[in-house]
Amino acid sequence: MNQIGVQTKNVINDNCPEEGFSMLKHTGFTCADFSLNSYLMNTSLYQMELNTFFDKSIQELENFFLPHKNGAASSGIKISQMHMPYPIYVPMAGKELNEYLWKEVAPKSMMVCAFFNCQYIVIHGCKLARYLGSEDEEWKQTSQFIHSIAPLAKELGITICIENLYDSIGGHLVEGPCCDVKKAVERIDSINEKYHAEVLGFCFDTGHANLVGIDFAGFITELGERLKVLHIHDNDGASDLHQIPFTFTKNRENRSSTDWEGFIRGMRNIKFNKVLSFETAPVISTFPKPMKQDVLGFIAKIGQYFASEIEK
Amino acid sequence: MNIICAPDGIIDIDRPRQGAIDIVRSGFCDVLLDASLACTPIELRMTSKVGQNKINQRICVSGNPTELYHDLIPMLVQCRQTQLHTTLAYAPYLERASKHVESNQLMIQLAEESIKVCREAKCQAIIIRPLFSGIEPEDEWAVNKKYYLHLAGIAREHNVTILLENQCRDLNGHLIRGICSNGKTASKWIDELNKEVGEERFGFCLDVGVCNLCGQNMYDFVLDLGSRLKAVNLRDCDGQTENAMLPFTCVNRSQPLTDWLSLIRGLRDIGFDGHLILSFGDTAKSFSPILRTELMQLARSVANYFQWQIEIENLLKKYKHIVLFGAGNMCRNFMKCYGEKYPPLYTCDNNRSIWGTEFCGLEVRSPDSLLELPEGCGIFICNIYYREIQEQLNGMGIKNIEFFNDEYMPSYFFDRLGSK
Repeated sequence: MNQIGVQTKNVINDNCPEEGFSMLKHTGFTCADFSLNSYLMNTSLYQMELNTFFDKSIQELENFFLPHKNGAASSGIKISQMHMPYPIYVPMAGKELNEYLWKEVAPKSMMVCAFFNCQYIVIHGCKLARYLGSEDEEWKQTSQFIHSIAPLAKELGITICIENLYDSIGGHLVEGPCCDVKKAVERIDSINEKYHAEVLGFCFDTGHANLVGIDFAGFITELGERLKVLHIHDNDGASDLHQIPFTFTKNRENRSSTDWEGFIRGMRNIKFNKVLSFETAPVISTFPKPMKQDVLGFIAKIGQYFASEIEK
Repeated sequence: MNIICAPDGIIDIDRPRQGAIDIVRSGFCDVLLDASLACTPIELRMTSKVGQNKINQRICVSGNPTELYHDLIPMLVQCRQTQLHTTLAYAPYLERASKHVESNQLMIQLAEESIKVCREAKCQAIIIRPLFSGIEPEDEWAVNKKYYLHLAGIAREHNVTILLENQCRDLNGHLIRGICSNGKTASKWIDELNKEVGEERFGFCLDVGVCNLCGQNMYDFVLDLGSRLKAVNLRDCDGQTENAMLPFTCVNRSQPLTDWLSLIRGLRDIGFDGHLILSFGDTAKSFSPILRTELMQLARSVANYFQWQIEIENLLKKYKHIVLFGAGNMCRNFMKCYGEKYPPLYTCDNNRSIWGTEFCGLEVRSPDSLLELPEGCGIFICNIYYREIQEQLNGMGIKNIEFFNDEYMPSYFFDRLGSK
């Protein structure tokens, strides 16, 4: 049976991490997706604004996250995956910022990941196809980044996971990096072969896939064992809303407009036995605070439903 | 490249004269023989529900597929009279939400009849959508292989190429990727079908509207298809609802909602020289018929613009020497993408403070230098104030004035000069 996880964002408070982890445990989760990206937000990076969080030494970072690590352990929650801050490359920014992201933020994120005994870290590929001319050229840049941290990943026993992303054309969300499963499979295999280790895997994001009409079952089946982690969430097919699965419908028959049947079929096809992890932090802030536990419990129940369907 | 106007919203199948004249007068020479006008998806849905045979005293094609040709005769006659070609046809199709497997028998008959019409209409190719209604994903290839191979015999007899088209599927109202919505898979289907029939009987038509609904990377799609791509159905939509709008009309805060950049890059890279179908039925229907002639002229200009963008290198190849006008971002973009292959002699600019300086490896000169150019040299205006500069150059008696445009470049710099 798959374990169930959820993002730490909007649940874990730095002042008392144990409280949040304990809530996760009590609401039915056994795993957590640690939102390391919350400490260096994408919105700031796109404004070319840096904070000093990753200026800390490894020792300082470990000291900072020690209460989180202990809180998770004492609550019986495993940090099963982590999100590296993104973007990894800001096209409009100068060399200094981009070098900082590659040479400071990325390796330190890997070290934090190892500190939590977490096996998977999710990265966002570069969104540069418009500038460079094609997705293949864009991948070269992402691939350079992966190569810059792959030796460390191998050393620490971590698998870096690339995620299917979207891009925006006038606010219309369209296919972004890593949406071509055939290419993803070839690229993962080629990099792993080079390092003789599983340094690269895939994070399937259901919400992003839904935005660009990807065939869930086909995509997941083709990924096979390269699929390591999940970002499970729902949307209306137009905006990246990160809502609870089965929320959206498009017609009077009121049946889900996201292909959850395809999701289950795909997971079943590959006998997915890892964590069913939800990326639904916005839901926590949408509902009134007193309902937080109920909402988390409901998300965990959906996870349990998926797990039982996958096992059938 | 052959530009084709889709008749939906313009030609009334029962009274086609005015629509055909509108199309011809706007400069189109070719119209899509759209058999779905004679047998609409709505009619097909109604037939499957109530089995009706007549609508407004007219015999339904859906109930009597052999009537298809009869229903298209007025349009064909009118096309002949107005000298409109019908190089490409489109077979009737079902609504995307259709789930009845029984409908497929009728679709086979309608496809057969559509192919037969092609000979009369002198069509070179016909777009026939794959069968999908009530078919499980794992059976799609087997069912359609049988279907297309059956049609191939009739197509050979009538000397017509069959074009498959990328589809989306209706998942409870959400349109997601369907049959042949991946370039690699579509190419595999076409290659296998052609191999089976031992000739190039099959090709592909890319529906840009469907790609947009599924937010697809059209550059990769087009490159995967390569020479299999025989036609492009150019239509705009908001990315959520299936419509056939005039390109560049679906916008949000001054930005288009369709990724025209990746489409144009792809078509340029494969040297696309097939049929470019302009479908804007929903735009045409929503405009007052009083404005039809003006709309048609705009539509023709849009089609010409696409052709111009796709074939932009042909324009550069036309001249032995070229000179640019403008020393800003557009000139910089020209030099990035084409400077090496088509090196300009120099650039000129109206800003006298930069005369004599160098910009992107080019000497910046006064516009007066253009008076000393050798004959047969093309002057490419690299500045959005095209008409103003054109007027200036015309006034100087300069010939061979061309426009360059950097809206759809093969690549871009990360920054723009002068941007804050």
